[in-house]
Amino acid sequence: MSKLAWAWTWFAFLLALNIAIPWFVLTHVEKMIGAFLFWTIWVAAAIISAFIIFLKWKEVKR
Amino acid sequence: MSAAFWVWFGIAIYVAAGLGIALMARRRLGGGVSEFFLANRKVGGFVSALTYSATTYSAFMMIGLAGLTYRSGVGALGFELTYLCGMFMMVFFLPRFWLVGKKYGYVSPMELLSDRYQNKGVGATAAILALVFLVPYGAIQLMGVGYLMNGISQGVIPVIAGIIIAVVCAIAWSSIAGLRSVAWTDAFQAIIMITVSAAVLGVVISSLGGFGSFFDRLESAVPGLLTVPTAGGAWNINMFIGLALPWLFFLISNPQVSQRLFIPKSVTAMKQMLGGFLIFGFIYTLISVLWGFSATLLVPGLENPDLATPTLLTLPIIPTGLAIVVMIGITAAAISTIDSILLTLSSVWARDIHKGLINPGVSEKGQLKIGQWVIPIMAIIAFVFAWWVAEQPGGSLELMISPLAAAASAGLLMAVPTIFGAFFWKRGTALGAMFSMIVGAVIVLVFQITGWKPLGWWPGVWGFVVCVPLFIGISLATKPPQNKAEEFIGYLRGALKKGRFI
Repeated sequence: MSKLAWAWTWFAFLLALNIAIPWFVLTHVEKMIGAFLFWTIWVAAAIISAFIIFLKWKEVKR
Repeated sequence: MSAAFWVWFGIAIYVAAGLGIALMARRRLGGGVSEFFLANRKVGGFVSALTYSATTYSAFMMIGLAGLTYRSGVGALGFELTYLCGMFMMVFFLPRFWLVGKKYGYVSPMELLSDRYQNKGVGATAAILALVFLVPYGAIQLMGVGYLMNGISQGVIPVIAGIIIAVVCAIAWSSIAGLRSVAWTDAFQAIIMITVSAAVLGVVISSLGGFGSFFDRLESAVPGLLTVPTAGGAWNINMFIGLALPWLFFLISNPQVSQRLFIPKSVTAMKQMLGGFLIFGFIYTLISVLWGFSATLLVPGLENPDLATPTLLTLPIIPTGLAIVVMIGITAAAISTIDSILLTLSSVWARDIHKGLINPGVSEKGQLKIGQWVIPIMAIIAFVFAWWVAEQPGGSLELMISPLAAAASAGLLMAVPTIFGAFFWKRGTALGAMFSMIVGAVIVLVFQITGWKPLGWWPGVWGFVVCVPLFIGISLATKPPQNKAEEFIGYLRGALKKGRFI
């Protein structure tokens, strides 16, 4: 699988978690360590993965 | 001295500083359309990151999102962070927009679409979509300023006065030196936004006994707001997807932000822009949501949740001086968004509608003149809309700032299949693009106006599930611009490899 396909797959996986965890796993957890903590960690994972990808970019000579 | 006096004093300082920065930017203003609308594609990473942040994050954060959190709880965090997660797609779209922008000289995202699909109608359709749906979005910013000034001055300054101040500043910032003045004032405003909101949240959390005590109090006072769906029934999956789906694709569907992808001067500047924005967005979102939660504890029972922030700022625990500075921070957030919208709409009108459809032979000077006229006209339209919404009875979810923002983005969402097709699908055609955008937008408008939600799905979701297969189906049934598609996507393939983009 190409890097592009991997990146899209990872993104789709993150989006699936976005619904699955808060509505089906944490729906009865009425605490800050429930959906609030999940979404904070979840978006941190998305941000870190974006950093991993874009820090490899290099200048393009034209 | 009264609160109203200090509000006026704070506004005067802010306007003077912004005007000074905009005039400084004007000294560097060169000639030509690319210079006025894109600062000649030579914006550094720091300013790019801050202008992107200030354009994206607006009054809806500390007022609308805080109000949504106040009323409906933690789902508001998930909704807003879905947008930030969607920014992961910048690793695909940022280099692609930037590379083709430099190669083909595109000024607006619509121009890119017209060229890629070899049909000016595609860009014009996307332009009309932007003109229709960005007006309510711009109006939201004005409403935010109006509510805020009214609340902090304890009703002395009418909502309409705040709206007028925001309109005048936005027109000035965007007219003085185009993107250069917008970007510089945005950078100044972004710094104010994040520092003052962090400071005031710190004061409020301290007064609640620190984070540990704050979280404990939330869990005991409003446990139903800490899960989804909330105890009151908000944030069922349909509501979440209805609000979050347009937000997810905001980075490419909203031209005032996608136009920013043309401006970094180098790959390093692009990286700084993206990294800086992601950090800014993460911090600012958490601040806004925690701010909304603190309002649920300190000012419960408000009828209109958009008043949570103004009401919280009038509490004795917040020093008047800090409340005024926060008001300026939120005003800055609003104005930095609306001036970018005005500038983008003016470029879209000048390039994609006037030059694209009405007068193809118009000179660059003529385009600039038209663009500069469009700025105040659009501002007045947004002003009238804001005034009308501000006069409606408060508390209705449909007229809250965040849902209005998402509704505007729902219309713009209809351009997303066309944008994806431009970069990733050689079979995409102009007819597929235009038809999918028009039908999708009509569905969104009709469902939005009638309040109809078949199966409980929101207007943007219905529009999207119709416009995606329409784009694919009609494209497969019609002839694509094969040579252009090969050249455009072929160029990108080579250039992406050189820069180690994916």
